[in-house]
Amino acid sequence: MKAPFEAFDMKNYLKELSELNTKFIKGAETLVGIDEIDVGTAPKELVYEEDKLKLYHYRQEGKVTCGVPVLIVYALVNRQYMLDLQPDRSIVRNLLQHGMDLYIIDWGYPTKADMYLTLDDYINGYLNNCVDMIRKKTGNDKITLMGICQGGTFCGIYSALYPEKVKNLVTLVAPFDFSTNDALLFSWAKNMNVDALVDTYKVVPGDFLNAGFLMLMPFTLNIGKYVDMLDVTQEKESLLNFLRMEKWIFDSPGQAGECLRQFIRDCYQENKLVRGELKVGERLVDLKNITMPLLNIYASGDHLVPPAATRPLNDLVGSTDKSLYEFKGGHIGVFVGSKSQKELAPAISKWLHERANGETAKKNPNTRKSHSKAQE
Amino acid sequence: METTKDFFDTWTRSQERIVENLTETTKKFQQVFWGLGSDGEGMSGFGDFQNVYSSWTNAIMNALRDTGTVDVNLIRETLLKTLSGSNAYLKLYEIWLPLFKAIREKTLSPDAYKDLTDPLKCKEMLDRVFGFDPDAISQAANQARKFLETFTGSVQQFMKPWAAATEKSSKTFPQLVEGHPESLMKIFHDMFDAFDSTIGRSFHVPAVGKDREKIELLLRGLDDLSVYLAKNIEYQNMMYATGLAAFEKVVATTAEKIKSGEEITKFDEFFDLWVKVNEKTYYALFQTEDFSKMQGEVLEASLNVRKHFFKLMELYLYDFPIALRSEMDDLYKTVYEMKKKVKGLEKQLGEVKA
Repeated sequence: MKAPFEAFDMKNYLKELSELNTKFIKGAETLVGIDEIDVGTAPKELVYEEDKLKLYHYRQEGKVTCGVPVLIVYALVNRQYMLDLQPDRSIVRNLLQHGMDLYIIDWGYPTKADMYLTLDDYINGYLNNCVDMIRKKTGNDKITLMGICQGGTFCGIYSALYPEKVKNLVTLVAPFDFSTNDALLFSWAKNMNVDALVDTYKVVPGDFLNAGFLMLMPFTLNIGKYVDMLDVTQEKESLLNFLRMEKWIFDSPGQAGECLRQFIRDCYQENKLVRGELKVGERLVDLKNITMPLLNIYASGDHLVPPAATRPLNDLVGSTDKSLYEFKGGHIGVFVGSKSQKELAPAISKWLHERANGETAKKNPNTRKSHSKAQE
Repeated sequence: METTKDFFDTWTRSQERIVENLTETTKKFQQVFWGLGSDGEGMSGFGDFQNVYSSWTNAIMNALRDTGTVDVNLIRETLLKTLSGSNAYLKLYEIWLPLFKAIREKTLSPDAYKDLTDPLKCKEMLDRVFGFDPDAISQAANQARKFLETFTGSVQQFMKPWAAATEKSSKTFPQLVEGHPESLMKIFHDMFDAFDSTIGRSFHVPAVGKDREKIELLLRGLDDLSVYLAKNIEYQNMMYATGLAAFEKVVATTAEKIKSGEEITKFDEFFDLWVKVNEKTYYALFQTEDFSKMQGEVLEASLNVRKHFFKLMELYLYDFPIALRSEMDDLYKTVYEMKKKVKGLEKQLGEVKA
């Protein structure tokens, strides 16, 4: 019987280390040759601006086959270009190829001047103005909202407040029931003094949030990832893939204090949205008012927004046409994983096409088939 | 004067030269590594080896300081993180080397591993993973002292017991790492002694006229700092104790592999095992309500220090012709409210027109 380290000696280690530093040098060589880490390259035009918000319309190179325009609403945390990280990992390009007419909100980078922005400003103000702008521009009374992560929560709230403007609601890995402690951020947020945080910072720095994300898997994210990276540094394209993700991870806007205060206190700590007690501006949010078709997508291995926080939405809405789609993967995989490109984006497109002309899942028997993992 | 083309040609050539030099340097250092390896397999020479490696990696970072690329900051950050990851990888080997040796020589007993490992090195590794700066606490106290010295010379004597207590506390860290809870109490006692000989006394001092507000804020700030220091030490102790538990689990997992005759021939395999066991052990800690509460308390304590520091700063800057943060906050509030009002009116006007 051999002990695990009998064949493991200083010479072996030095050889490994020498390989490691050779990789490091070659990686440095590749890095010097990189001029730009390009992200979000799908062609688009600016169609609306308000304060720091920008609304873009993606250029459709082909034919629009789905008549209802889709507004993509990303979270305030991190940047929306995650949906178009690179041409072969782009939900946006994928949906465009499927004939969708897409718009996307860029929330911008809040500064101290934005510290007083509230949930009311983001939802009844900015989001509502974007929806109205698209309705006016396209001549559609109703549009489709596709909200991601916190952006999905915003879309859910918006759809409950303005059901007359929303044709379909698609939510991706969006938290609604915050009572769960299945993910660390949910349990940590419950013991956070959000008043002290906001009163001190006013606009909470993105780095503060990043520190929390890195603590979720400290050994992998602070050490292991970078040691593993050395294996791909010699290939420029592989290294660029890594750097694009790295750029996205650390491109973290600060959070407007008042909005963050309300989101953490009312949602994470007091779970008011599910209890029907959340007020946005002067209005109470009742999720039962969501009566339009709903496609709720969750990731089974999501360690940021666990299924226990996303799945309950389907039981809380008033919609009769509602689908729950299980994505086998993690939070980030929903946007950039190969399964996302091959299965998820086509499934979203199909679901939306089927409802573009007022058809429902019941009228179209293919709906269930199209989502092999969907549960009505 | 150089034309743009000349400039870029020169720039490109200089980049090439950097890479060539780096490659050449690497080759030379690889030879040095191999030389050290053939001298002996034990710890002798390992310290030198690490020094050589560290100097070399530092040289790389200096050489790449100005790569001239568009995303230069991200690239530098990534390189720094990669370098830090590689150094942690090296440090890990340094920690485990005596154990590997004992395994090979079949002298490892269930309790012997404690004698074979250096707790300070383990602490350094955990500091690297969690971003704890070992000098941060004394630095914080020193910075606060310097700030106070600048504005109030008389405070210098006042801060001395605090600086001494902080210095004493930092010396207690190794005992903390070795899992002696009494050392935590020693830190608290040092802090309370400092409190008694400074703030405690001042409670009996009569009001000091127009500077009273500053003194009161200062006292509150120092009080907040002591609360933060105590909380932070408690928090770090929790992390170090978990690190030790993870260490024991790695030993146990390795022992299991010995029993089953499974081979680990590459350090990389061991590295993966180490990451996996540590993630699992820390995840178990992070899930507890105790950890969540402790983290919340440390955060709140650090925010209180920050908040008071800014208030104090404002108080001292009040007489200067500059806009203070609180004044800007008021201005932002006014602008925010006016903008909201204007947007509402514009909307109403649009509806009337339509």
